[in-house]
Amino acid sequence: MAKGGPLSLAPSLKPQLGHWARLRRYLSRQEVQTAYAFLAVPMLLLFLIKIYPVAYNLYLSFTRYEMVRAPQWIGLGNYVWVFTERVNQKALVNTLLYAIGAVPTGTALALLVAVLLNRPLPGRVVYRTLYYMPVVTSAVVVSMVWRLIYNTQSGLLNSLLADIGLGPYQWLTSEQLALPSLIIVMVWGGIGYNMITYLAGLQDIPPELYEAARIDGANEWQYFRHITLPLLNPVTLFVVVNLAVSVFRNFGIVFMMTQGGPNYATTNLVWEVYTNAFSFLRFGRAAALSVVLLLIVLLISVIQFRLIQVED
Amino acid sequence: MATIATIHRGPRRRPRWRRKLTAGRALTYLLLTFFALFMIVPYLWMLSASLKPNAEIFTSTIEWLPHRLYVQNYGDAFGMAHMGTLFLNTAVVSVASVLLNLLFCSMCGFVFARLNFAGKSALFWLLMATMMVPFEVQMIPIFLIARGFPLMGGNNILGQGGTGLMNSYAGLVFPNCVTVAGIFMFRQFFLRFPHELEDASRIDGASYAGFYWRILMPNCRPVIATLALSVFLWSWNDFLWPLVIIRDMNMKTLQLGLAAFQQENSTNWGPMMAACVMITVPVIALFLSLQRYFVQNVTSSGLKG
Repeated sequence: MAKGGPLSLAPSLKPQLGHWARLRRYLSRQEVQTAYAFLAVPMLLLFLIKIYPVAYNLYLSFTRYEMVRAPQWIGLGNYVWVFTERVNQKALVNTLLYAIGAVPTGTALALLVAVLLNRPLPGRVVYRTLYYMPVVTSAVVVSMVWRLIYNTQSGLLNSLLADIGLGPYQWLTSEQLALPSLIIVMVWGGIGYNMITYLAGLQDIPPELYEAARIDGANEWQYFRHITLPLLNPVTLFVVVNLAVSVFRNFGIVFMMTQGGPNYATTNLVWEVYTNAFSFLRFGRAAALSVVLLLIVLLISVIQFRLIQVED
Repeated sequence: MATIATIHRGPRRRPRWRRKLTAGRALTYLLLTFFALFMIVPYLWMLSASLKPNAEIFTSTIEWLPHRLYVQNYGDAFGMAHMGTLFLNTAVVSVASVLLNLLFCSMCGFVFARLNFAGKSALFWLLMATMMVPFEVQMIPIFLIARGFPLMGGNNILGQGGTGLMNSYAGLVFPNCVTVAGIFMFRQFFLRFPHELEDASRIDGASYAGFYWRILMPNCRPVIATLALSVFLWSWNDFLWPLVIIRDMNMKTLQLGLAAFQQENSTNWGPMMAACVMITVPVIALFLSLQRYFVQNVTSSGLKG
């Protein structure tokens, strides 16, 4: 009893509030009341559409659920199915192939266009507007127009190629060409958005750097290679991740142009999620497929964070 | 990130190549025009096909201009695809999504920016984390929740027996009525709002709610415009969720109706392209008139959808 007997009672002689009284006092503050009143409805909705679904989806991915009976726990069964079924393997490989095809091309074109448009050219607003238009056009419309262009019997593309003695090609109906054809549409649709991101990044480069390089006698290419490109690294990282995620998630174009065909040549993870859930009513399997999609997206985000830390 | 103003004004310093290298400048224009053609040709082809009879669309030689304007396609498309209903449905859903988003996102943004309560930052970061989750991962549970929504669409209080929010406006709006990106945009704007003005309004006897409604909201028009545009565009163009939640022809949105039209009349290209033009023109017009807010949406939040 080093602290002394009777004296240790002293603090408790002061009027101390109990838990409930403290809580009442906290809840009686106008600031707290306003906060809870404002958050009540939106947070309930956010819980229902953003937070709970992730947990519920994870749970469903470990169950067999076909809407007739309640979900039955089957452990890793759905995941075994995801990685052993041929169609799913095809979807996984295609999802990566889409990204490998669309991300480097899309990034390079967005960068090129942004660098060209970053100069005080007359008419650059017109160009910027034209490049951005596909971003505001729906996937359904985009797909329908490109189907007309890709049409094997004298579609626009085959007619153009016929003029120089090529074709006709089966852009959407041959197993070899269908996937590249869709990649072209994805690149076409993504340039505008990423161009704007790059333009914003270009504005942040201090003009003094170019001034210094000019004194050293650098040429246009050296400006680009040694100043613009390195300083845009964080923007490029953002564009690459953003483009990859949007390509991974592509559904509208696949649905409208090929329905995953021919012979699963253009199927991807999201298409398999949709068909398993809403055509075959296999919600457990579809949930497992979507969790794999989530893991891929999270992996990319983690890599992005790591690279940003390395930059800093 | 640079501000919008600088993007519009262009770089402060004129590079010397403008004075010297006219060849470089010509090359720039050549490249820009080449890419512009790549971007614009599908639109021109869509417009051209929408004004041609079917027989004229597929010809062995490319003809950009129709022999005569075959406007009939537009009337046909309007009737065949029930475009009136589709436009109405899409407009109702888009406007409702925009209004709900503006209300809910600004309320949450205000709370996270200006008020303090237990668990605030944990809640905020939990919400931020959900932004990394693709919608496709939440789609199945959201569908099951919407289908089992109590007391809706013939459901009992336990959410059984009926179809819940399926085939309804409420079902279409449900997953899009509040967005985390919108909350974040409002929060960032409200954080920068001067505290002197808050103190002044508090001294005048305004409550927190009064400060939010009478001082903050009238002063955040750029955020309102940016969020309203992005939500409107998203609802107008959304395809996957309506596909999942709507089966009834009368409740379809434009995108769904167009997809169904393609599946039913896969060779009737003239009316199909006319429908595409009609769906796209409103968004393009909106984009052309409010371009700077679109640009702002990309640069200020870096968030899509």
